[in-house]
Amino acid sequence: MAERTATHGRAGGQPTFAVILTWILPGAGHVYIGRPLLGLAAFLVVDGFFLVGLWLTEGRTFEFLQPDLQGPFAGALTPEVGNLGGLVYQMRRYGFGPGFPRPWPEHVHLGAWLTATSGLLNVVLMARVHLEAQLPGRAMRRAGSPDMLVLAAWLVPGLGHALQGRRKRGIVVAVVVVGLLALGTVLAEASNLDRERHFYYWAGQFLAGGPAMLLEVLFGGTRVTGEIPYVDAGLGMGCMAGLLNVLAWLDVYGWEEERVLAAPVPEAAG
Amino acid sequence: MKDLGIHLLLFLPVAVAIVVMGTLYAEPDDAKAFGSLPRRFAWFVGGCAVVGAVLLAVEHLFASVS
Repeated sequence: MAERTATHGRAGGQPTFAVILTWILPGAGHVYIGRPLLGLAAFLVVDGFFLVGLWLTEGRTFEFLQPDLQGPFAGALTPEVGNLGGLVYQMRRYGFGPGFPRPWPEHVHLGAWLTATSGLLNVVLMARVHLEAQLPGRAMRRAGSPDMLVLAAWLVPGLGHALQGRRKRGIVVAVVVVGLLALGTVLAEASNLDRERHFYYWAGQFLAGGPAMLLEVLFGGTRVTGEIPYVDAGLGMGCMAGLLNVLAWLDVYGWEEERVLAAPVPEAAG
Repeated sequence: MKDLGIHLLLFLPVAVAIVVMGTLYAEPDDAKAFGSLPRRFAWFVGGCAVVGAVLLAVEHLFASVS
Protein backbone atom coordinates (compact mmCIF):
# COMPACT_ATOMS: atom_id res chain seq x y z
CA MET A 1 0.00 0.00 0.00
CA ALA A 2 1.32 3.40 -0.93
CA GLU A 3 1.87 6.06 1.68
CA ARG A 4 1.82 9.80 1.15
CA THR A 5 2.06 11.20 4.66
CA ALA A 6 5.02 13.37 3.76
CA THR A 7 3.38 15.02 0.77
CA HIS A 8 0.02 15.94 2.23
CA GLY A 9 0.69 17.71 5.48
CA ARG A 10 -0.76 16.56 8.77
CA ALA A 11 -1.96 12.98 8.83
CA GLY A 12 -3.87 11.13 11.53
CA GLY A 13 -0.97 9.00 12.75
CA GLN A 14 1.37 6.22 11.78
CA PRO A 15 -0.58 3.96 9.36
CA THR A 16 1.20 0.77 10.40
CA PHE A 17 0.65 1.42 14.10
CA ALA A 18 -3.03 2.16 13.44
CA VAL A 19 -3.33 -1.17 11.59
CA ILE A 20 -1.72 -3.10 14.45
CA LEU A 21 -4.03 -1.44 16.98
CA THR A 22 -7.06 -2.34 14.85
CA TRP A 23 -5.86 -5.92 14.49
CA ILE A 24 -5.64 -6.30 18.26
CA LEU A 25 -8.82 -4.35 19.08
CA PRO A 26 -11.27 -3.40 16.31
CA GLY A 27 -11.78 0.36 16.20
CA ALA A 28 -8.69 1.19 18.30
CA GLY A 29 -6.80 2.35 15.21
CA HIS A 30 -9.54 4.84 14.40
CA VAL A 31 -9.47 6.19 17.95
CA TYR A 32 -5.71 6.59 17.54
CA ILE A 33 -6.05 8.60 14.31
CA GLY A 34 -8.65 10.86 15.88
CA ARG A 35 -11.93 9.33 14.73
CA PRO A 36 -13.34 7.93 17.99
CA LEU A 37 -16.96 7.68 16.86
CA LEU A 38 -16.09 5.63 13.81
CA GLY A 39 -13.81 3.56 16.02
CA LEU A 40 -16.63 2.86 18.44
CA ALA A 41 -19.05 1.97 15.64
CA ALA A 42 -16.47 -0.33 14.05
CA PHE A 43 -15.81 -2.00 17.39
CA LEU A 44 -19.53 -2.63 17.93
CA VAL A 45 -20.02 -4.10 14.45
CA VAL A 46 -16.88 -6.26 14.26
CA ASP A 47 -16.96 -7.55 17.82
CA GLY A 48 -20.75 -7.75 17.65
CA PHE A 49 -20.42 -10.30 14.85
CA PHE A 50 -17.80 -12.11 16.87
CA LEU A 51 -19.73 -12.22 20.12
CA VAL A 52 -22.98 -13.36 18.48
CA GLY A 53 -20.98 -16.05 16.68
CA LEU A 54 -19.34 -17.05 19.94
CA TRP A 55 -22.74 -17.25 21.61
CA LEU A 56 -24.21 -19.43 18.84
CA THR A 57 -21.23 -21.78 18.75
CA GLU A 58 -20.80 -21.70 22.53
CA GLY A 59 -17.16 -21.00 21.73
CA ARG A 60 -16.71 -24.46 20.22
CA THR A 61 -15.55 -23.70 16.65
CA PHE A 62 -12.07 -25.04 17.35
CA GLU A 63 -13.50 -28.30 18.64
CA PHE A 64 -14.09 -29.03 14.93
CA LEU A 65 -10.35 -29.65 14.67
CA GLN A 66 -9.00 -33.17 14.93
CA PRO A 67 -6.75 -33.66 17.98
CA ASP A 68 -3.54 -33.79 15.93
CA LEU A 69 -4.34 -30.38 14.43
CA GLN A 70 -4.98 -28.71 17.77
CA GLY A 71 -2.09 -26.53 18.84
CA PRO A 72 -1.10 -23.01 19.86
CA PHE A 73 -1.15 -21.76 16.25
CA ALA A 74 -4.28 -23.60 15.11
CA GLY A 75 -6.11 -20.31 14.64
CA ALA A 76 -3.41 -18.76 12.46
CA LEU A 77 -4.90 -20.07 9.21
CA THR A 78 -8.51 -19.27 10.05
CA PRO A 79 -10.46 -16.15 9.05
CA GLU A 80 -10.85 -15.36 12.77
CA VAL A 81 -7.18 -14.38 12.88
CA GLY A 82 -8.23 -11.07 11.28
CA ASN A 83 -9.74 -10.20 14.66
CA LEU A 84 -6.75 -11.14 16.78
CA GLY A 85 -8.18 -9.93 20.09
CA GLY A 86 -11.33 -11.97 19.55
CA LEU A 87 -9.39 -15.07 18.53
CA VAL A 88 -7.09 -14.88 21.55
CA TYR A 89 -10.09 -14.40 23.82
CA GLN A 90 -11.85 -17.42 22.30
CA MET A 91 -8.78 -19.65 22.57
CA ARG A 92 -8.09 -18.67 26.18
CA ARG A 93 -11.71 -18.92 27.29
CA TYR A 94 -12.85 -22.02 25.37
CA GLY A 95 -9.78 -23.60 23.75
CA PHE A 96 -10.42 -26.97 22.11
CA GLY A 97 -13.10 -28.11 24.55
CA PRO A 98 -13.08 -30.92 27.10
CA GLY A 99 -11.67 -33.54 24.71
CA PHE A 100 -14.68 -35.83 24.46
CA PRO A 101 -17.49 -35.81 21.84
CA ARG A 102 -20.75 -34.04 22.68
CA PRO A 103 -23.67 -32.69 20.61
CA TRP A 104 -23.10 -29.47 18.69
CA PRO A 105 -25.23 -26.41 19.42
CA GLU A 106 -28.14 -26.05 16.97
CA HIS A 107 -26.72 -23.04 15.13
CA VAL A 108 -23.03 -23.86 15.35
CA HIS A 109 -22.44 -23.43 11.61
CA LEU A 110 -24.10 -20.02 11.49
CA GLY A 111 -22.07 -19.00 14.51
CA ALA A 112 -18.85 -20.18 12.85
CA TRP A 113 -19.72 -18.03 9.81
CA LEU A 114 -20.23 -15.01 12.06
CA THR A 115 -16.91 -15.33 13.90
CA ALA A 116 -15.15 -15.85 10.57
CA THR A 117 -16.91 -12.83 9.07
CA SER A 118 -15.82 -10.76 12.06
CA GLY A 119 -12.19 -11.52 11.15
CA LEU A 120 -12.76 -10.51 7.55
CA LEU A 121 -14.55 -7.29 8.54
CA ASN A 122 -11.61 -6.38 10.74
CA VAL A 123 -9.18 -6.92 7.86
CA VAL A 124 -11.28 -4.50 5.80
CA LEU A 125 -11.21 -2.08 8.73
CA MET A 126 -7.42 -2.39 8.92
CA ALA A 127 -7.15 -1.51 5.24
CA ARG A 128 -9.39 1.51 5.82
CA VAL A 129 -7.49 2.84 8.82
CA HIS A 130 -4.20 2.43 6.96
CA LEU A 131 -5.46 4.67 4.20
CA GLU A 132 -7.26 7.13 6.47
CA ALA A 133 -4.13 7.62 8.55
CA GLN A 134 -2.45 8.97 5.42
CA LEU A 135 -5.23 11.41 4.58
CA PRO A 136 -5.87 14.69 6.32
CA GLY A 137 -9.36 15.35 7.64
CA ARG A 138 -12.12 13.50 5.86
CA ALA A 139 -10.71 13.59 2.38
CA MET A 140 -11.23 9.87 1.93
CA ARG A 141 -14.96 10.09 2.39
CA ARG A 142 -15.15 12.46 -0.56
CA ALA A 143 -12.74 10.53 -2.72
CA GLY A 144 -14.07 7.01 -2.35
CA SER A 145 -14.19 3.96 -0.11
CA PRO A 146 -11.78 1.19 -1.12
CA ASP A 147 -12.72 -0.83 1.95
CA MET A 148 -16.39 -1.00 0.97
CA LEU A 149 -15.42 -2.12 -2.52
CA VAL A 150 -13.31 -4.91 -1.04
CA LEU A 151 -16.26 -5.95 1.09
CA ALA A 152 -18.43 -5.99 -2.05
CA ALA A 153 -15.76 -8.07 -3.83
CA TRP A 154 -15.93 -10.58 -0.99
CA LEU A 155 -19.71 -10.75 -0.88
CA VAL A 156 -20.06 -11.16 -4.65
CA PRO A 157 -16.86 -11.99 -6.54
CA GLY A 158 -16.47 -9.45 -9.34
CA LEU A 159 -18.81 -6.87 -7.78
CA GLY A 160 -15.94 -4.68 -6.58
CA HIS A 161 -14.63 -4.38 -10.14
CA ALA A 162 -18.11 -3.77 -11.50
CA LEU A 163 -18.69 -0.93 -9.02
CA GLN A 164 -15.44 0.63 -10.20
CA GLY A 165 -16.77 0.58 -13.74
CA ARG A 166 -14.48 -2.29 -14.77
CA ARG A 167 -17.34 -4.54 -15.80
CA LYS A 168 -15.47 -6.87 -18.18
CA ARG A 169 -12.91 -7.62 -15.47
CA GLY A 170 -15.68 -8.11 -12.92
CA ILE A 171 -17.49 -10.63 -15.12
CA VAL A 172 -14.29 -12.60 -15.70
CA VAL A 173 -13.54 -12.67 -11.94
CA ALA A 174 -17.09 -13.79 -11.16
CA VAL A 175 -17.03 -16.57 -13.75
CA VAL A 176 -13.61 -17.86 -12.67
CA VAL A 177 -14.18 -17.75 -8.88
CA VAL A 178 -17.78 -18.97 -8.84
CA GLY A 179 -17.10 -21.51 -11.59
CA LEU A 180 -14.14 -23.02 -9.74
CA LEU A 181 -16.09 -23.11 -6.48
CA ALA A 182 -19.07 -24.78 -8.16
CA LEU A 183 -16.88 -27.34 -9.92
CA GLY A 184 -15.12 -28.12 -6.64
CA THR A 185 -18.45 -28.56 -4.89
CA VAL A 186 -19.66 -30.97 -7.59
CA LEU A 187 -16.45 -33.02 -7.41
CA ALA A 188 -16.51 -33.13 -3.60
CA GLU A 189 -20.24 -33.96 -3.71
CA ALA A 190 -20.88 -30.97 -1.38
CA SER A 191 -18.74 -32.47 1.39
CA ASN A 192 -16.55 -29.35 1.13
CA LEU A 193 -19.39 -27.19 2.48
CA ASP A 194 -18.82 -28.13 6.08
CA ARG A 195 -16.38 -26.51 8.45
CA GLU A 196 -16.63 -29.41 10.85
CA ARG A 197 -15.46 -31.88 8.22
CA HIS A 198 -12.81 -29.84 6.40
CA PHE A 199 -11.78 -27.08 8.77
CA TYR A 200 -8.88 -25.52 6.84
CA TYR A 201 -10.22 -26.08 3.31
CA TRP A 202 -13.36 -24.34 4.52
CA ALA A 203 -11.25 -21.40 5.69
CA GLY A 204 -9.92 -20.89 2.16
CA GLN A 205 -13.33 -21.39 0.63
CA PHE A 206 -14.82 -18.79 3.00
CA LEU A 207 -12.86 -16.14 1.11
CA ALA A 208 -15.11 -16.72 -1.92
CA GLY A 209 -17.80 -15.01 0.17
CA GLY A 210 -21.47 -14.98 -0.81
CA PRO A 211 -21.42 -17.90 -3.25
CA ALA A 212 -19.73 -20.15 -0.66
CA MET A 213 -22.28 -19.04 1.91
CA LEU A 214 -25.18 -19.69 -0.46
CA LEU A 215 -23.90 -23.14 -1.43
CA GLU A 216 -23.49 -24.04 2.23
CA VAL A 217 -27.04 -22.93 3.01
CA LEU A 218 -28.39 -24.97 0.08
CA PHE A 219 -26.23 -28.09 0.21
CA GLY A 220 -24.19 -27.95 3.43
CA GLY A 221 -24.34 -30.79 5.93
CA THR A 222 -24.91 -33.43 3.24
CA ARG A 223 -24.36 -36.93 4.61
CA VAL A 224 -21.40 -38.78 3.12
CA THR A 225 -22.42 -42.39 2.58
CA GLY A 226 -19.57 -43.71 0.47
CA GLU A 227 -16.21 -42.96 -1.06
CA ILE A 228 -16.07 -39.72 -3.06
CA PRO A 229 -13.62 -40.42 -5.91
CA TYR A 230 -12.42 -36.87 -6.56
CA VAL A 231 -12.94 -35.31 -3.15
CA ASP A 232 -9.33 -34.08 -2.97
CA ALA A 233 -9.62 -32.26 -6.28
CA GLY A 234 -12.94 -30.77 -5.19
CA LEU A 235 -11.57 -29.56 -1.87
CA GLY A 236 -8.55 -28.05 -3.58
CA MET A 237 -10.67 -26.24 -6.14
CA GLY A 238 -13.07 -24.82 -3.56
CA CYS A 239 -10.23 -23.59 -1.41
CA MET A 240 -8.38 -22.16 -4.39
CA ALA A 241 -11.47 -20.27 -5.55
CA GLY A 242 -11.45 -18.38 -2.26
CA LEU A 243 -7.71 -17.75 -2.28
CA LEU A 244 -7.81 -16.48 -5.87
CA ASN A 245 -10.62 -14.12 -4.91
CA VAL A 246 -8.12 -12.43 -2.58
CA LEU A 247 -6.14 -11.42 -5.68
CA ALA A 248 -9.33 -9.77 -6.95
CA TRP A 249 -9.71 -7.87 -3.65
CA LEU A 250 -6.13 -6.64 -3.88
CA ASP A 251 -6.69 -5.52 -7.47
CA VAL A 252 -9.86 -3.65 -6.44
CA TYR A 253 -8.18 -2.09 -3.42
CA GLY A 254 -5.00 -1.07 -5.23
CA TRP A 255 -6.95 0.57 -8.04
CA GLU A 256 -9.16 2.54 -5.64
CA GLU A 257 -6.31 3.45 -3.31
CA GLU A 258 -4.44 4.99 -6.21
CA ARG A 259 -7.53 7.01 -7.11
CA VAL A 260 -8.04 8.20 -3.52
CA LEU A 261 -4.41 9.19 -3.06
CA ALA A 262 -4.44 11.06 -6.36
CA ALA A 263 -7.57 13.05 -5.41
CA PRO A 264 -7.03 16.74 -4.55
CA VAL A 265 -6.74 17.48 -0.83
CA PRO A 266 -9.24 20.06 0.51
CA GLU A 267 -7.53 23.22 1.81
CA ALA A 268 -9.60 23.40 5.01
CA ALA A 269 -8.68 19.87 6.05
CA GLY A 270 -4.92 20.43 6.21
CA MET B 1 -0.50 -43.02 -13.68
CA LYS B 2 -4.02 -44.13 -12.76
CA ASP B 3 -6.69 -41.87 -14.31
CA LEU B 4 -4.02 -39.68 -15.90
CA GLY B 5 -6.41 -38.28 -18.48
CA ILE B 6 -8.97 -37.27 -15.85
CA HIS B 7 -6.32 -35.68 -13.67
CA LEU B 8 -5.04 -33.66 -16.62
CA LEU B 9 -8.61 -32.64 -17.36
CA LEU B 10 -9.08 -31.52 -13.74
CA PHE B 11 -5.79 -29.62 -13.89
CA LEU B 12 -6.98 -27.46 -16.79
CA PRO B 13 -9.71 -25.43 -15.00
CA VAL B 14 -7.41 -24.86 -12.04
CA ALA B 15 -4.62 -23.72 -14.37
CA VAL B 16 -6.99 -21.39 -16.23
CA ALA B 17 -8.22 -19.89 -12.95
CA ILE B 18 -4.70 -19.33 -11.61
CA VAL B 19 -3.46 -17.77 -14.83
CA VAL B 20 -6.49 -15.53 -15.33
CA MET B 21 -6.56 -14.22 -11.77
CA GLY B 22 -2.78 -13.83 -11.65
CA THR B 23 -2.82 -11.90 -14.91
CA LEU B 24 -5.65 -9.59 -13.83
CA TYR B 25 -3.80 -8.85 -10.62
CA ALA B 26 -0.50 -8.19 -12.36
CA GLU B 27 -1.78 -6.17 -15.32
CA PRO B 28 -4.16 -3.23 -14.66
CA ASP B 29 -4.85 -2.59 -18.33
CA ASP B 30 -7.64 -4.87 -19.58
CA ALA B 31 -6.50 -5.04 -23.19
CA LYS B 32 -2.93 -5.97 -22.23
CA ALA B 33 -4.16 -8.44 -19.61
CA PHE B 34 -6.51 -10.34 -21.89
CA GLY B 35 -4.03 -10.19 -24.77
CA SER B 36 -1.29 -11.80 -22.69
CA LEU B 37 -3.44 -14.69 -21.42
CA PRO B 38 -2.48 -17.29 -24.08
CA ARG B 39 1.25 -16.66 -23.58
CA ARG B 40 0.94 -16.74 -19.78
CA PHE B 41 -1.17 -19.91 -19.92
CA ALA B 42 1.38 -21.64 -22.15
CA TRP B 43 4.20 -20.66 -19.77
CA PHE B 44 2.25 -21.88 -16.73
CA VAL B 45 1.29 -25.23 -18.24
CA GLY B 46 4.81 -25.69 -19.66
CA GLY B 47 6.34 -24.88 -16.27
CA CYS B 48 4.02 -27.32 -14.49
CA ALA B 49 4.92 -30.00 -17.06
CA VAL B 50 8.63 -29.48 -16.36
CA VAL B 51 8.07 -29.68 -12.58
CA GLY B 52 5.95 -32.82 -13.07
CA ALA B 53 8.64 -34.43 -15.24
CA VAL B 54 11.36 -33.64 -12.69
CA LEU B 55 9.24 -35.11 -9.88
CA LEU B 56 8.60 -38.28 -11.85
CA ALA B 57 12.29 -38.63 -12.67
CA VAL B 58 13.32 -38.12 -9.03
CA GLU B 59 10.68 -40.59 -7.87
CA HIS B 60 11.82 -43.15 -10.45
CA LEU B 61 15.49 -42.74 -9.58
CA PHE B 62 15.38 -42.44 -5.80
CA ALA B 63 12.02 -43.57 -4.45
CA SER B 64 10.92 -46.44 -6.67
CA VAL B 65 9.73 -49.48 -4.72
CA SER B 66 9.44 -51.82 -7.69
